[in-house]
Amino acid sequence: MIKKNNLLKTFVFAAALLVGMGTSSFWAGKAIAADSKDAGTIEDLTPSMSYAEYQKRYEAYYGDATAQMAEEGNPADFLLDDGKDLANKVVGSKGKSCASCHGKDALKLKGVATGYPKYNAALGGIMTIPLQINTCLKQAMGAKPLKYESYDQLALTMYVKSLSNGMPIKVSIDGPAQPFYKKGEAAYYKRQGQLNFSCAICHVQYAGYKARSNLISNNKHHVDHWPSYRLKWGKTGSLQRRFRGCLKNMRAKRQPYQSEEYRNMELYLTYINNGDLIQVPGMRM
Amino acid sequence: MKDNEFSNSRRDFLKRTGLASLGLLSCSALSAAIPSGNGRLGGLLGALGPDEAQAAPEIIDIKDKLRTTFGSRKVEMSHVDMKTPIIAENGAVVPIKISSDLPMNSGDYVKRIYIFADKNHNPFIASMDLTPANGKAALALRIKMRQTSQVRAILETSNGKLYGSTKTVKVTIGGCGG
Amino acid sequence: MPRIGKIKIRVPRSIHKGEVIAIKTLITHPMETGFRKDKKTKKKIPAFYISDVSMYYGDTLISRADWTIAVSTNPFMTFYVKADKTAPLKIVWKDIRGGVYEKTIQIKPQ
Repeated sequence: MIKKNNLLKTFVFAAALLVGMGTSSFWAGKAIAADSKDAGTIEDLTPSMSYAEYQKRYEAYYGDATAQMAEEGNPADFLLDDGKDLANKVVGSKGKSCASCHGKDALKLKGVATGYPKYNAALGGIMTIPLQINTCLKQAMGAKPLKYESYDQLALTMYVKSLSNGMPIKVSIDGPAQPFYKKGEAAYYKRQGQLNFSCAICHVQYAGYKARSNLISNNKHHVDHWPSYRLKWGKTGSLQRRFRGCLKNMRAKRQPYQSEEYRNMELYLTYINNGDLIQVPGMRM
Repeated sequence: MKDNEFSNSRRDFLKRTGLASLGLLSCSALSAAIPSGNGRLGGLLGALGPDEAQAAPEIIDIKDKLRTTFGSRKVEMSHVDMKTPIIAENGAVVPIKISSDLPMNSGDYVKRIYIFADKNHNPFIASMDLTPANGKAALALRIKMRQTSQVRAILETSNGKLYGSTKTVKVTIGGCGG
Repeated sequence: MPRIGKIKIRVPRSIHKGEVIAIKTLITHPMETGFRKDKKTKKKIPAFYISDVSMYYGDTLISRADWTIAVSTNPFMTFYVKADKTAPLKIVWKDIRGGVYEKTIQIKPQ
């Protein structure tokens, strides 16, 4: 009798698993790069709804709650103040601070964030602001680089970006940046993980639908408000932290912060966001 | 491997949980004897400081809490507006907004706003004492919720009357929010 | 890490005499519940939270809040004040370990 119960449970579980697998292959779409290792073909995906319809659903679900909360009291604002202090602080063997080169309060960096991420010849790849901060610390200042997602790293990144608040994003994918942009796009569209999802499947095709209690966002405006405070985290975090969060839920392998692929993806997403105004820190669910 | 060990039959399950709850009860009896730390986990984990005693996971029923706070007074469900999110993806930060059109005159004003979340271990979240100098009986706070439950805002006037509003907030480990 | 007790207070820019204004406050504090376990040591992190907030307008205590562990980390609170006089508004936060944090802003109704 007891054995039969166990058998029944196994049967139900297996059936559920098959249904689940069946559902994910329903999403498999047309031409797919089954091997997640290769650069991948770009799947032909179209948004399931117009951007206007998506915005309507977003409004209905989240309303202006997050904008209101950001305006009222964004805990990430504390990082802005600390970022400014850090920019003026002398650190490292060369006795410099960010301000030594970039002016008091690093004000000479006003507008600079609109062009990031960008191709950097010495790096031979795409440079993001957090990586640039660490590069400056190591090379120009003879100081220890800051751990990614640490408070100080986030504070400095946020402060530098905030100096461009209200300015339109304007990244270039010309010349040497072009192949990295293409790689970023491929990474965004590649199927990966146990569920065989790609970033694009949700954020291009299914934006506006719900994944359990989240409304899937359209990637058109993914980048302009990072670093952001997220109620979910109860903390401030970076865009790449958000990548890793999604990838974890996709049951896909996660890469370390500022990996080449993440930087390429950041360039890709930022290019899509070109024209939108930088508004940091963000505040969202 | 004996069949009994993996038995999922109802009788076995009840037996096990019955014994388990006895075990927990005896732990709380023991921990009552231990001066520092009250509550079941306190007893298991050994001595905790006085701060910890305040945060011991003793579960208080919302009905008992309301009774000890307000006695048998009835709460009139009007004059109070409460804004909460429908779903909170993280129970640790749930924004709540309470406002009321009740007067704030020296003869008749809201003297205290209470906030409760039914299913928190201690359903009492916070309260705020007001005077006519506040001008408005309103409060916004970000609170922690243990699980999906009702959130109640109860306003007490200087005349001892109670007005309130309740909303259900769903707490979930979201969808794809990494 | 952010220092405990950093405070931000938001007041409307222009205030008319007698107007009821919203005061938005934010303070950094872990508001530790005492339920969490340290991932490395597996030991319980002791409760540590702000339990009392007092608001003074001029010399008068106009409002007081009682908080528990169930108020979120880095607590945010909005309350209201009838701006009927030019006077300082002082807010004092007290936590269970005797920490006292305060900030004063000027209320200047036009």
